[in-house]
Formats: sequence, structure tokens, C-alpha cells
Amino acid sequence: MNTSAGQTYLKTRTSVMARRLIDDATLEAMLQEPLPRLEGEFGLAGISERGLSEAELNRHIERGLIHSLMQELSILLRPLGGTARDILVYWSRKFELLNLKALIRGKLNHLPYDQIRESLHSLPPLISLPHETLLRTENVPELLRQLEQTPYEAIARQARRVYEEKNESFSLDATIDHRYYTGLLRHARRCDAADQAPLLKLIGSLIDRQNLPWLLRYRLNYALSPSETYYLLIPSGRHLHTDLLKQLVNLQEMARILEALPEPLNSRLSGLRQIMEVEQALTDDLNRQARKCLQFSPSAVTRSLAYMMLREMDLRRVFAIIQGRVLALDPQLIRQAADLGREVPGV
Amino acid sequence: MFRPLPMKQVLIQLLADDLPLAALTLAELGMFSPGGGDNFSEQFPDVPGTRYRELYHQARTRLQKIESHITLGPLRPLAHTRVIGEQELATTNAWLGEVWERCSSFEEHFRRLTDEEHMLEQLEQTLDNFAALNFDLSRLRGERLFLDLHIGMLPSVNVPKLREAIALADYLLFNYMENTDHTHVIILGPKGAREQELRSVLDTAGFHALEIPPELDDEPQRIQGDLRQRREALASERAARRQAMQTCGDELRAQLEQSRDRLIMAEPFVAMGDAARNRGQLGIISGWIPERELKRTESALHRRLDGPFRITATTPPRTNHRDVPTYLPVNWLTRAFSTLVKQYGVPRYGEINPTPIFAVSFIAMFGMMFGDAGHGGVIILAAWLGRKRLKSFTPFAICAGLSTSLFGLLYGSLFGYEHLFQAVWIPPLSDPLYMLRMALFWGIGFMVLMSLLYIHNQLVSGEISHALFATNGVVSVTLYLSVLTGIYRFVNTGQFGLLPAGLSLAALLALLAFKLIETQAPPGERMLVAGIETFETLTGYISNTLSFLRVAAFSLNHVALAIAVFTLADMMEGTGHWLMVIGGNLFILILEGAIVTIQALRLEYYEGFSRFFSGDGQEFKPLTLSLQGVK
Repeated sequence: MNTSAGQTYLKTRTSVMARRLIDDATLEAMLQEPLPRLEGEFGLAGISERGLSEAELNRHIERGLIHSLMQELSILLRPLGGTARDILVYWSRKFELLNLKALIRGKLNHLPYDQIRESLHSLPPLISLPHETLLRTENVPELLRQLEQTPYEAIARQARRVYEEKNESFSLDATIDHRYYTGLLRHARRCDAADQAPLLKLIGSLIDRQNLPWLLRYRLNYALSPSETYYLLIPSGRHLHTDLLKQLVNLQEMARILEALPEPLNSRLSGLRQIMEVEQALTDDLNRQARKCLQFSPSAVTRSLAYMMLREMDLRRVFAIIQGRVLALDPQLIRQAADLGREVPGV
Repeated sequence: MFRPLPMKQVLIQLLADDLPLAALTLAELGMFSPGGGDNFSEQFPDVPGTRYRELYHQARTRLQKIESHITLGPLRPLAHTRVIGEQELATTNAWLGEVWERCSSFEEHFRRLTDEEHMLEQLEQTLDNFAALNFDLSRLRGERLFLDLHIGMLPSVNVPKLREAIALADYLLFNYMENTDHTHVIILGPKGAREQELRSVLDTAGFHALEIPPELDDEPQRIQGDLRQRREALASERAARRQAMQTCGDELRAQLEQSRDRLIMAEPFVAMGDAARNRGQLGIISGWIPERELKRTESALHRRLDGPFRITATTPPRTNHRDVPTYLPVNWLTRAFSTLVKQYGVPRYGEINPTPIFAVSFIAMFGMMFGDAGHGGVIILAAWLGRKRLKSFTPFAICAGLSTSLFGLLYGSLFGYEHLFQAVWIPPLSDPLYMLRMALFWGIGFMVLMSLLYIHNQLVSGEISHALFATNGVVSVTLYLSVLTGIYRFVNTGQFGLLPAGLSLAALLALLAFKLIETQAPPGERMLVAGIETFETLTGYISNTLSFLRVAAFSLNHVALAIAVFTLADMMEGTGHWLMVIGGNLFILILEGAIVTIQALRLEYYEGFSRFFSGDGQEFKPLTLSLQGVK
């Protein structure tokens, strides 16, 4: 992605695709739109008429979301090559990691084949694991042995160590997430010099959104020690850099942690009492940052990544609306799930 | 031979209880391909055997995994077949589960042994490192009053993060040795309340502690001896495990082969999928059978089924030909050619079977390009000697060798020598232009034949307009032949000729008109697309014809290579001369053999197949008694 023609093409492509991003007014309108039309618009035609259970419905909707994203990703990938292509493909691996977690959790809890299979998302071969082979394994060690034969070998080895030491899914999930975000940073650092700085800024915001809720949960909910909490966090956030994280893990109350944050996080987050609220505020922050990148970033691959992040957030909200409406939930609840009508600080 | 076998769409109505036995019987015959079950989903909504299928798949996977540890004997035809009930399948599956459990524990144990060997290697490196230090090693061992000290190793990628993390608990990390993916470290800090905190982080970071043996200071040889013993112990444990596995395999092999036979007999019902349906006690099986096999199928079902049944066979209408599987019968001679045809694609039902045409033209072109009586003989001999490896490709290679020898006789060439006997036809280098002309005539004949096949295929599919006006239709062939005739006349008489010119123009206009009608686009774009496509039809024919010049070019190339070899050989004397001749001939055989094969295939695929068949047909895949049918 180093030719100026390629950069221009991709920037134009993302600008055109950016028109698909959905604003709050459109989401509000979706609450009133006839359900069949809404389903059809997002490739879920007839889902409300199939009499699916709540779990099946969730799976179908989630599959629809990932399918839409993968289609758009494949369009953006076409003109890309080398490290720029690698980072977008790596970002999309997050969905396969959901599958991996579902597989490990299923095997740990001895769930039947069908139940685990139903919870897996079908993904393009580029990032997909050999699901059938993994599903047919009969326990976690066998699953990990099989995984060691795939591109997820490094994650599998780390996961094996954690499984053998701790034998529970929380540590495995944390390890998998940690490896994923560290890998994302590594990929960004391998990109061309022109792409590197904007990419690291955007990924830094994404990491901040992960790190702070993790920090709060590890310290306050799971009561992990400061050193273990720090070990499980990802270095190189945008606002939450290494030295600050070292200070934060030594604090023992949420209010004090939030007070110790630098600007602009401090003014946005101080006073919040729930980790969910913090997570939401950080998502808004990420959303703002990604929109800025999409419009102004000099790097085409950063714009593409920003678009994919925004599109994912958008589609999650849309599917929350569809899900709520199919299940005939209370409109207020749907609005809450789709994050509508909430005052966004700083906007 | 030139057409796929006529197929019948069959519906077998029978008792639901007889479905597994009917599936087994059909698999034994090997002439029934299940399909089209969806068409009956309203009348017969249930697809039986859900649990059966699940059991089968699990058992099959287990057997496959076991086979990677225990080698079973080759598959033998089953002497007696019977229906495998769900209970029997469940028992087989459970037993295979137990066997796999044993194999899996072996596998896990081998993995652990590998880890231990790796650890031992790391320990040896560490001890070598410490032994070289001028330092009292006893200080690194045992409990200390104020100091908490750990020596060990961890994945190198985790070191920087761990160093920072444990610094928060007032610990320090020093690395003293690194290898490919692990780093050896010493961690130390104050004894006290944070020891437990440290252990938890170390576990998460994948830290492995290394023990420093007390004898390291004063008796290093004893340590080395101990380590050697441990390594030997690991090796003998590995060997013992391997032996145990072998014994386990020998014990279980017969039973495993019986289980495999049971799965083979269970597979046909599983492979039926939704082609076997039922509503209460009534069941159906839908699929395809070659017309000539109908009676044999009916009588086999009569023999095996106790309950009543009825077979209805219908001829698929032309409009449904795309859904009909294509069955191209093969024999020992045509099998390899058929495989190469399928590399391109499977013809649609009703289309010409390209295998015989491919076989004849490929072999002919191979000989034309490679013609040498001696080399042909070597190819035949090599094919015969390597027949076990070549399997179905043996006749293919022998035919290629025969063709090479035949053209060798026509060209008067034996191992590159052009003067040992009189050419029956012509030595290629004596008149290269004549050879090129011959190649062009071959190409023209080949192209016309391919276009005629296209016209036939379109007529069979009912696409009359395409048969007449499409790129390879009647009008295009007329255009091609009239242009060629005009050019031929022009070269010989200096005039294109009125008739060829008139025909060319009329054909060109007809093609343009057809493209204009067929293209769906706004008027401007339609004109542009139709114009370009018409022009492309003409240039395509010409360039494809010129492509056949390579047939003559390679026959000339063969002689040129031989001349080069003999020139080099003539520079030497005695043994050197003959070594050069033999080596050079081997070089020509291998290099030219490979190139000529690729070029002939290329001409077949691009200049031939792409003209007359789309290759998007469905291959007839009958139910058989094997473990291949279910994915």
C-alpha cells in the first residue's frame, strides 16, 4: 500500500463506504420501521418468523453481523498488500478468537458437539480455524494439541501453560485477549513509517478501552494483585501509558483510579460508579477517535481500520434493535441496549 | 463413449424401517447417487437417523484419529453385509472412544516427554553456564532469611512485561542466558507478604523453576552423569511407551478393523442425508441411477427387502439437465485421461464427453512435438517399470511413448540421431516451413472440431441462438473459415475472393447484431461492448490458431537440442563422448518431456476445452461401501 494511487483509491473507497455508517437519528427511525423491512436491509430476512429460541436468535443475529463485516472487509482488502493488509486481516481475527474461546469453554464444560458448533461463527477461510477438527476433539489438552498445528500456535502454547497452571476459562480468555491486542500492536509497528503513527494512535485508543475496564475488574472484582493485574494489561495505550498503569494498579478504589486518570479521560470518567459506565464512556471516546481518523487520517489503512471499527460498533447497535424487536422487548430496554438517547459527554 | 450415460431420476417408495437396508443394498451396487430430497420435503417432512448420523460421525472421527497411531490393514471387500443398528453403532462408538482415550494419553505423554527433554536441555545449558562462573553456587540454593530468590526460565516474549510487573512487588529480574524462544532468569526480592503475589504472576507468565543441584560446586562430573541418566531414562521411557503403543495396536488391530467394517456398513444410510425421508411408516429414497442399471437395482432390492417397495424412474427434462449428475464411464485405458479432463471440470449432463477426443488429440500432439523412436521406447520402458507408482497413469505414459516412437519413425529420429534410418515422412529440420504449415492445418482442424462440439452441446441444451450466433457458433465458424479461405487465396493468387469476402462480412454483421441484442446495457455501452466482443471473436480465432505453431516449434526444438548435445559430445572422445550422448539424451527426455506435456495440456485446456464445455457439471458420485462418501 505504498503507491499514491493505491492510497487515493482506498481513501475514496472508505469515504464512499463511510456513508453506510449509521447516526442516532437513523437508529431512532429503525425503532419504528416495519420489522420485515429492517430485517431485509441487514441480511436477516424472515428471522422473526422462524420461531427461533432466544439463544438461536442471538447466534443468527451475531452471525449476520460478522457476515456483513467480513463482506465489507473483503472489499477493503482487495487493493491492499503486505503489512497493511496483514493488520486488517489480523484485526478481523478477533471474531475467530470468539470461536476459540467458545471452543475452549465448551470443552472445559463438556458441552455436546452440537451446542458448541452452534455457538461458532462461520468465517472466511483466511482467518478461520479448522472448526470440524477442533470440534471433534474430546478434551481441552487434545484441543490445544490440535491448535498447535494452526496459525494460532503461539496462543495455543500460552493457553496450554495457563490451562495447566490454573485450569479455568477466565485466565485462558484473558491470555487470549492479551495475545490478540499485543499482536495487533506488533502488526501496527511493522507497517510503513507513514502508516505507523496514525495506526498506533487509533489502536492506542482501542487498547485504552480494553485496559481500563480490565484493570478495574481485575483489581476490584477479582482482587488480583497489582503486579498480576499489570502483567495482564496491554502496554502502549494512547492515554494510559506504562508508567500511569503502574500507578493505577496500586490504587484500591474505583473513584481514586478514575481521579488519577489524565485529561481528557479524567473529566469524562470522574464520578462514574459502574465499570459498565466507564466502558461505555470509553467506547464513545473510541468512536470519536475513529471518526476523526476516518475523515482526516493521512494513512489509508488507518482510515480502513477506523471504518471497520465504527461499522462493527454500528452493526452491534442495529442488531440490538432487531434482536429487541424480534423478542418484542420493552422499547425503553431496546433503546438502552442500542445505546440510544444517552447523553454523550463531550459531544 | 462420446456421451455421459443416460440417467434416470428415481423415487423408491418403501417402508421407513427398510431405509437402512435399502441404502446398504444401493451402496453395494455402487450405481445410485442420492439427491433431490428437498423436492419431497412437504409430503415426507422427516429425515430419519439424526442420532445415528451423529454417532457415525463421532465414531468415524475417532477411528481416523486412532489410525494416525495404529496402522490398520488395507480395506478388503466385505464378504457379508448387514444393517448396523443404532445400538450397535453406539457401542462401537463408545469402544472407539475408549481406544482413542488410550491413544490420546499416549500422545499427551509423548508431548510431555518432549517438554521434559527440552527442559533437560535447558537445565544442562544453565548448569554449564553456572559451572563456568567463579561464584559460590550454594548461595543460590535453599531458603534464605531475608531474600526470596527464584532461578528459572520463561518465554522470551514475556520477559520485559514480567520485569515491569514484578518490580511493582519490589522484585528484580536479571536474565543471564537466552536461546531461541526462552530466556533464563534470576528473580529476587525481599521475603515477606508479597511472595504469594509473585508466584501467581510467575505462573501466568509461564515461568519454570530450575533446580540447582547441590553437587554442582564440587562434583560437576556427577551432575553430568545424573543428567545423562535422566536423558537416558526419558529415551527409554519414550521407547517403552512406543512399545506399549505398538502392543496396544497389535492387540486392538483386529477389533479396530471390525469396527471399521461396521462403519463402512453404516455409512450408506448416513450418506443418504435428506434423500432418505419418511412420514410415519412410509419412507422414500430419491436420487439418480444410470438407465442401464435400473433393472439390476430393482432386482437387488427385491432380493434384499422383505417389505414392499416401488421404484419410479423418470427421464429428466432438458430444462433440468443442470441438476442431473454426469456419469462418464472409464476403463483402465481412459481413467488417467478422464482424471485430467476433470481437472478442468465436469461436462454438464447431455454434453459431449471430452475424454476420447482429449485422449487422441493429446497423445497425437505429444508425439508430434517430441517425435523420437528411441525416447519413445525409453518412456514406454520407464512407464512399465514404474507401473506400481504410476497406477492408472501407466497406460497414459505408454500411449505417450508409443506416439513418440511413431512420430520418431515418421521423422527418422532415434535418440537424436537423424541419419540412422530413412524418415517415413520428413525430418523436421529439413523443411521447417512445411512443418509450421502442417501445425497450422492441425490447429485449424482442432479449432473447427471444438467449435462443432460447442454447437452440438448448445443444440442439446436447447440453446439454438447460441448454437448459431455465439462466439463458437455456426456463424463464428463460418467467419473463421471464410477469413482463412480468403487469406489462403490472397497468398496464392493475390486476391481475397468475392465469396470469402461476402461470407466474412455477412458473418461479422450477424455476430455484431447478435451481440447487440444480447448485451444488456445503455445504447452507447451496448455498441461499445458488442463491437469489442465481435472483434475479439475474430482475433481470438486467429491467435488461438497461431498458438498451434508451437506443435511444429517443439518438434524443431527437439532436433535443435539433439544437435547441441552432439556438438558437445563431438568435442570429447571415447568415454566422454558417450557419457555426453547418454547424459544429453536424459536431459532432453526429462526437460522436453515435462515441457511438451505442459504445452499439450495447455493447448487442450485453453484452445480446446474453453471453446466447448463450461466444466460446471456435477459428477455422478454413487453410494459405495467405503469410508469416502461422507464428508
